Amino acid sequence: MLKRVFPTKALRWTLKTATHGTEVTRLYPEVMIELPEVERGIHELDATLCIGCASCARVCPNSCVEMVPYVFGNPLKNKKMIFPQVDYGRCMFCGLCVDECPVECLKMGKKVTMTGWTRQDIIKGPYELAVKKYTEEESRKLAEEAKRVAAEKKKAAAAKSEGTAKKAAGDGAPAKKAANEVEAGVSEKAAIKEVAAKEEVVENKTKEGGAS
Amino acid sequence: MTTANEVLSAMQTAFPGAILESRIESERRLWAIIDYTQIVEVCKFMHDKLNFDHYSGCAGVDWVTKNEMEVVEFLASHGTHQVVAFLKVKTQRDNPSVKSLTGLYWNANWYERETWEMYGINFENHPELFPLLLPDELVGSWPWRKDFKGYPDVTTGQRAVERLNPSGHTEYIFSPTPAEIEAQTIIQERPKYPTFKEREESELKSDSEMIMHMGPQHAIVPGPFLLDVLVEGERVKKAFLDVGYIHKGIEKIMENRTWLQGITYTDRLCYLASLSNNECYCGVVERLLGITPPERAQYIRVILEELSRIQSHLLGTGEFLTLLGSATYSPFLYMIIDREDILALIESVTGARITHTFVRFGGVRNDLPEGFIDKCRSVLKKVESRTNEYIALFDQDPIYHLRMDNVGIITTEDAKLMGVAGPPLRASGVPYDMRKEDPILVYPDLDFKVISRTKGDASARIEVRLDEILESLRIIEQCLDRIPAGPIRTEEKIPKKVPAGEAYYRVEDPRGEMGIYAISDGTDKPYRVKVRGPVYAYFQALPPLLEGVYIADVVAIAGSMDACTAEVDR
Repeated sequence: MLKRVFPTKALRWTLKTATHGTEVTRLYPEVMIELPEVERGIHELDATLCIGCASCARVCPNSCVEMVPYVFGNPLKNKKMIFPQVDYGRCMFCGLCVDECPVECLKMGKKVTMTGWTRQDIIKGPYELAVKKYTEEESRKLAEEAKRVAAEKKKAAAAKSEGTAKKAAGDGAPAKKAANEVEAGVSEKAAIKEVAAKEEVVENKTKEGGAS
Repeated sequence: MTTANEVLSAMQTAFPGAILESRIESERRLWAIIDYTQIVEVCKFMHDKLNFDHYSGCAGVDWVTKNEMEVVEFLASHGTHQVVAFLKVKTQRDNPSVKSLTGLYWNANWYERETWEMYGINFENHPELFPLLLPDELVGSWPWRKDFKGYPDVTTGQRAVERLNPSGHTEYIFSPTPAEIEAQTIIQERPKYPTFKEREESELKSDSEMIMHMGPQHAIVPGPFLLDVLVEGERVKKAFLDVGYIHKGIEKIMENRTWLQGITYTDRLCYLASLSNNECYCGVVERLLGITPPERAQYIRVILEELSRIQSHLLGTGEFLTLLGSATYSPFLYMIIDREDILALIESVTGARITHTFVRFGGVRNDLPEGFIDKCRSVLKKVESRTNEYIALFDQDPIYHLRMDNVGIITTEDAKLMGVAGPPLRASGVPYDMRKEDPILVYPDLDFKVISRTKGDASARIEVRLDEILESLRIIEQCLDRIPAGPIRTEEKIPKKVPAGEAYYRVEDPRGEMGIYAISDGTDKPYRVKVRGPVYAYFQALPPLLEGVYIADVVAIAGSMDACTAEVDR
């Protein structure tokens, strides 16, 4: 005859694991295998080098790389201050973005594990990816420097355009040409801005559609 | 040795008016446009007189601007000569139709079915023009035509609408666009044909017969496919194969990606042979660009492809023997241990375990790491001794012999007729290997032999695979001795836009002949990429092979082919 026993032993173990921080999940193999140098894991971004050219975003077959704003970079090189953000829900670790990078600021490291409660958790922006970046003070100084350089450039450009205008005043025909050029440049920029704005609107729309 | 020139002149003398246009790319490549009415006669002449006994596949091409469709037939020979002929047949775009070659080449069946369902090109006198890869709802919309709108519809961005049908199942409705409703083009005449179920049930003749399903999810199959066997008692009377459960449309996706991005998709054709697939795709683009990789890169490619061949054969054999239920001895985990060493070697070079994206146009991604050659040598030594052990072990196992000997015999003639590729073909006594037939990279400099057997049964296929492992080890050793120093990528700049043209490139996959046919129209994206996979070639030979065998042998026969469904469906 079977004897019914209250499972004290099993219960005790359950209570113990539930109340104390006992390790229940263990790594297997117990020591992680050594990964090679060229392992293609999670990206490592050198924010001091990135120029924000978006080559990586363009070459990605799954379009999982997006350029997002970030502050601890170099505004002298990266005018728009945009840096790659990778959606690891879509990334297939092909490494084309790394090959395409002209300044070699993007690398793939040995870290291969990622977990999260939501899909948003595995979208990693430059704040998570950057392994090398400027400190707050350095980046503040760089931003000031960039402002100064931009102002200087503006001044120089203004001086130049004044000079050309003065020159143009001397004889009629080239003046018109220069004016036309300036106008054309302005209108082109305006057109680009318009297109970008439209694209943004379209993107937002598609995103909303996808969500609904 | 026959050259492309001789073949062309023989064709021209036999059929003076049939060849509308011709181009000789090299000694081994012949391109010709054949008159629509005479294609069958020309092929019959080539088959009978010029030894073109290997039908390697066909590709449909949609020339939407010229308003015409094209079917390209790839013809080759089983080792008699090395010429590959590409015969093109042109047809009108509305109501396209060409003559079927199924009467001449048995294995043209599936290739023509696929072209029909994707492009809507009708094949006259085809015995069973039923959908192969597509689901029933999509047949009739001809998805690979250039003017296929696709879903979600690009004009509205609308996705499929989900709703419940009366029986309580979820249905997805693809709503027509406003433009389509206005133009009233939505009402399409879908072709009427019997479904797979109706086709197999029509074969049931008496109450003593029944249909047994193996798949789509089954322990013995390497991926999802449906193998239905019509049995009477213990004997299989007829077998039916349904594929397309994981049809991804890789060829169509590649038309919408740049040439460089296409490499990542070749990885996903079959993860056991991703390096060979990379090589095949990069090879065809290199041929279009007219560049050759530097010697060191070629050696690296050969080493890695041979390593990947070894790991594929190890997994294929080990898995198969486990599925067979070889109760006395199953070396699966031992083979996995060996494979693990080889994967670690590959990973140390490529940085990934199975989807490598390693080969590049005109070179490779990474150089060999420090100490690779010594590590590789020690692994090779271990794998060699272990493989010899496996061979000895199988040889002395009586159960292994009972289950494998004289099971699923493919004769030499059948193998040639059915277009079987790779180890199953070589096990039937046809020493047909792309490394010798259509040599690429540094293979002509290397000393190796093509493994073949004459019995053609399941055990011969396993023997060929195990011997090929040893042969691959020999190739790698030679490469390690000879590998020169130097750059790993060509110094020429690789343009984003590939010059217009077409090319075909073949490599020896672990499973057989892998070919990619690419057409470029001068833009940064391919116009058409056709993947001619080896498993597709011998998968369609499975149903006739299973006729008349015992149910217990079905696994032995299907498994010994070492299939990969991902590559069949693409």
